[in-house]
Amino acid sequence: MAGSLLGTEVRRVEDPELLRGRGTYVDNLTLDGVLHLAFVRSPFAHAELTAIDVRAAEAAPGVVAVYTAADLDLPPVKQFMEVNPSCARLPLATDRVRFVGEPVAVVAAESAVAAADALELVDIDYEPLPVVVDPEAALAPDAPRQFPHLGSNIAAGERDAEGAAVLDDAEVVVRARLENQRVAVVPLEGNAIAVVPGGPDEDFDVTIHVSTQAPHALRTVAAKAFGWERDRVRVIAPHVGGAFGGKFGLSAEHAVTVGVALRHGRPAKWVETRSENLQSMPHGRAQVQYAELGLRRDGTITGLRCRVLGDCGAYAGFGGGFALGPTRVMAQGVYRIPRLSYAGIAALTNTTPTGAFRGAGRPEAAAMLERLIDLAAAELDMDPVDIRRRNFLRPGEFPYTTLTGAHYDSGDYDLPLTEALRLAGYEDLRAEQARRIAEESPVLLGIGVSTYVEITGGGGGGEYASVTIDQDGTATIAVGTSGHGQGHATSFSMIVADELGIPLESVRFVQSDTGRVPRGGGTGGSRSLQLGGSAVRRASEELLRRARELAADRLEASADDIELTAEGRLGVSGVPHASLSWAELARAVAEDGGRLGADTDFRPEGATFPFGAHVSVVEVDTETGFVRPLRHIAVDDCGRVLNPMIVRGQQHGGAAQGISQALWEHMSFDEDGNPVTATLADYLVPSATEMPTLETANTETETPRNPLGAKGIGESATIGSTPAVQNAVLDALRHLGVRHLDLPLTPQRVWRAVRDAAEGNPQAPWREPPGAFDELPVRGEGPSPAAEEAAV
Amino acid sequence: MDFLRPTTLDEALAAKAERPGAVPIAGGTDVMVELNFDHRRPEALLDLTGVGELAEWSRSSGSDGEIRLGAGVPYTRVITELGGRLPGLAMASRTVGSPQIRNRGTVGGNLGSASPAGDTHPVLLVTGARVEVASVRGTRLIPATEFYTGVKRNALAPDELVTAVHLPEATGPQQFAKVGTRNAMVIAVCSFALALDPDRAAARAAIGSAAPTPRRAVAAERFLAEELPWGTPGPLRDSLKRRFGELVAEATEPIDDVRGTAAYRRHALAVLARRTLTWAWNDQQERSPSCA
Ligand SMILES: Cc1cc2nc3c(=O)[nH]c(=O)nc-3n(C[C@H](O)[C@H](O)[C@H](O)COP(=O)(O)OP(=O)(O)OC[C@H]3O[C@@H](n4cnc5c(N)ncnc54)[C@H](O)[C@@H]3O)c2cc1C
Repeated sequence: MAGSLLGTEVRRVEDPELLRGRGTYVDNLTLDGVLHLAFVRSPFAHAELTAIDVRAAEAAPGVVAVYTAADLDLPPVKQFMEVNPSCARLPLATDRVRFVGEPVAVVAAESAVAAADALELVDIDYEPLPVVVDPEAALAPDAPRQFPHLGSNIAAGERDAEGAAVLDDAEVVVRARLENQRVAVVPLEGNAIAVVPGGPDEDFDVTIHVSTQAPHALRTVAAKAFGWERDRVRVIAPHVGGAFGGKFGLSAEHAVTVGVALRHGRPAKWVETRSENLQSMPHGRAQVQYAELGLRRDGTITGLRCRVLGDCGAYAGFGGGFALGPTRVMAQGVYRIPRLSYAGIAALTNTTPTGAFRGAGRPEAAAMLERLIDLAAAELDMDPVDIRRRNFLRPGEFPYTTLTGAHYDSGDYDLPLTEALRLAGYEDLRAEQARRIAEESPVLLGIGVSTYVEITGGGGGGEYASVTIDQDGTATIAVGTSGHGQGHATSFSMIVADELGIPLESVRFVQSDTGRVPRGGGTGGSRSLQLGGSAVRRASEELLRRARELAADRLEASADDIELTAEGRLGVSGVPHASLSWAELARAVAEDGGRLGADTDFRPEGATFPFGAHVSVVEVDTETGFVRPLRHIAVDDCGRVLNPMIVRGQQHGGAAQGISQALWEHMSFDEDGNPVTATLADYLVPSATEMPTLETANTETETPRNPLGAKGIGESATIGSTPAVQNAVLDALRHLGVRHLDLPLTPQRVWRAVRDAAEGNPQAPWREPPGAFDELPVRGEGPSPAAEEAAV
Repeated sequence: MDFLRPTTLDEALAAKAERPGAVPIAGGTDVMVELNFDHRRPEALLDLTGVGELAEWSRSSGSDGEIRLGAGVPYTRVITELGGRLPGLAMASRTVGSPQIRNRGTVGGNLGSASPAGDTHPVLLVTGARVEVASVRGTRLIPATEFYTGVKRNALAPDELVTAVHLPEATGPQQFAKVGTRNAMVIAVCSFALALDPDRAAARAAIGSAAPTPRRAVAAERFLAEELPWGTPGPLRDSLKRRFGELVAEATEPIDDVRGTAAYRRHALAVLARRTLTWAWNDQQERSPSCA
């Protein structure tokens, strides 16, 4: 056969329709008789609901109905992960609201405009309650409680017994309180759902068109919540305009839309506005980390102690739980660390519930550790590269089980670092940095390094795929992942083309429709190629095995002698004229009443652990505090690369979001719990003008845990980039005595740190953590249920 | 809400006289944001985009050229067509929003909003611009220094429209600079404009986002007029630049808000003042080879 497609830059087959504006998004669906929904949302962060009067809204033109919780009687929202079952949330608030933007009532109208106009006619009486916005303040004994029966605002928490003792062997300890700020997900398409009721005489009881990452999971939750048989529910995700972790499960608004559609026996649709999206889609990150690293004077790490506070927002949002889950699991990073003690708290605040955002708990772990390593380098007067190399786990140590129970598959951590330094021209950059310092230039150069490892494709699940050959010789893939921009149609078709010798143009791709794909895990946690792609590979292999048997029968040869010819036909080896095309074989099988296809449920041998090294080069204007990212070098190792162009795209997008967290993005609230960055004028997403040139490369350390040798790449560059930029800014200021700055690195923050250091009062990076950490229950033995949970 | 679409200036002025509550809309880049967020709900919108008289600029025939810039000329045209004659205004225009915003947004709209953060204001102040406003009662010219009357308030009477801005062509170096969390698409934390007039040994300096209204830093201007070594070639003394920065900072009356603290604004303006002075001075040195 001609050379394999695998590993080559095949152009994305899904792009022509997107570029021509032929994408099919939920809001583009035309549905006869559809009801348009709009939500009345709480303007208070914490209040009792004392009265709701919907009469004026009901009487408004075009309004069909207005509902409150009491009218619809919907089951509680089921989150992607449950942090605390006694913090249940109903889709519409009943007696209390707990964050600004929480839906209280829904208007159903004949048009979206009529629904929006009627919102302000709903008259709601609120009795404001004291508010907690800050997760550390939430831990105070006298803090206002969100769920009075809980006894505190701690939704979950546990600690290792050892505590400070893990630092006993240290000659030097560096410590810092680190904020990994709250960020918004901001997919270009917000949430959108259209629910079409069916019935016993129709194919389905209900069809749900929804912008989601995981249609099958949404089907499971919807079926359970509304009492349907799973097979009677059809969930379809059409084109999805980005998700980044924010579109998992059946949200409060989704459930209300289903409820309204059922009540009226009419289709109902909800498409959120940008302001709604910034207020109600779960936010990400939102951790405060108290981290301490013990070392010997030569830079060898002796122990790590972490106390991490995750902000759940209201209703025990699952993002807060990452402090106990993935952030803990990945706390050891790429280093050999003899002793480790970890404590985590998930705290309730009167803010938007948190959830997953690109990396979901792992970027926080990497940022924590990478900052500590740089602090240690500064303290010990070492180069940040040398201190990393001294402590790396070595290639010979894999597979390796960390102190937190992560089972690393394969790794060679110095490989991407060496490459990144080479691409960056590290020595030259250091010389330029020294030159600017010597010249007393107000604009300094910073060079930041981060080396990370993360976990992908975890959670224990496998993936479904089938491959079928139609009578015209085309192959159809059906797979349980749910790509939404990642390029699955291209990558998975490449696998089939490679295995079966069928041209790429003759491979069709089916996904994201529970009516056409029986089961699936969706797309998140960088799982799709390694699980879905492996499933497609296995199904293709199985199909080829069957095809050889079937062809052997027809060609009167032994199956062992059947081979794929260079023309993509099934031939008999050594007999040039005896062969069948895929179409001929499919027709022959059909004539016998059969179907030429195979399906499989692939199970991996465990999660995979991509890793890499990023180098960020920034200019820091010490007079204004303005940071300009000049270059960003990302060398990410995701195992075997199937399509370098697609991998590069993931690196670019990931790095853009990670750099943006370091420098610009911050979802913040005022003291009353009002979001102050709920528009894109205030919430600063990255744009092309301020992005530095992204220089990406890959090293390829294969994983033994799946047949492709592939690890995830979707989140890696987000994880690697944020700490590299943060370290770069601090690297520029190292000689001035500035040791730490929290994210985002705004001009004002940077300037203040420079000023304080110049005045001889550098800000201390450490203070004692809240006492609540000492009172946590000790973690049980064995892996925690959240271990190896690489969510989204 | 009524949508009024005059096609001539007379029609527009008549409409505004008849319905003073009608809100003019030019590029709409401020008005539409306010409507979308329900910050205001006017009885009528007065669309000025059909009024040809507002969409042009011209140069007066007099010897010391003056530009009459129609209120409805978008930033993109200011940049491409007037960059040479009005360098300060073009500089400020380049920093507004994004290409889309610059294609629609206008100087007239910036004046109508009169936000302390509006980017053209410091430039209008340092160039000695006059705002031409009209009503059915007649036309008057308001010096920019008298146009800004309070936070988001201006000197327009309810029946008046901004018709144009009159700006003298630059006779010396002009500079504009601002600080924000990032460069594009962000409201400035503070901004600064400087114009040197070497022929008259005069200088003007103005600040944005650091007081209730855009304002000139008069003491700093006087200092420059007296202390700049006008006829002498060579770089400026650091002490002079520093003092200028201090005087600019003293002219501010900033507040703490989500975008920045008062202390940071004051400090950053001093830095911008020093830097723009250096650039303007270097520019000046290059322009007059006799001095070099
Ligand atoms: C994303 C975004 C980014 C932005 N970035 C910047 C920035 O960087 N710097 C900056 O300064 N501004 C910025 N703005 C604000 C805005 O673009 C400017 O203020 C612009 O100059 C407004 O011009 P316009 O023609 O769009 O005004 P409009 O929105 O049409 O009008 C603005 C106000 O002026 C009034 N008005 C308009 N024309 C007249 C007239 N002829 N006579 C009397 N009143 C009139 C209107 O009634 C209204 O009150 C930004 C806005 C957005 C949406």
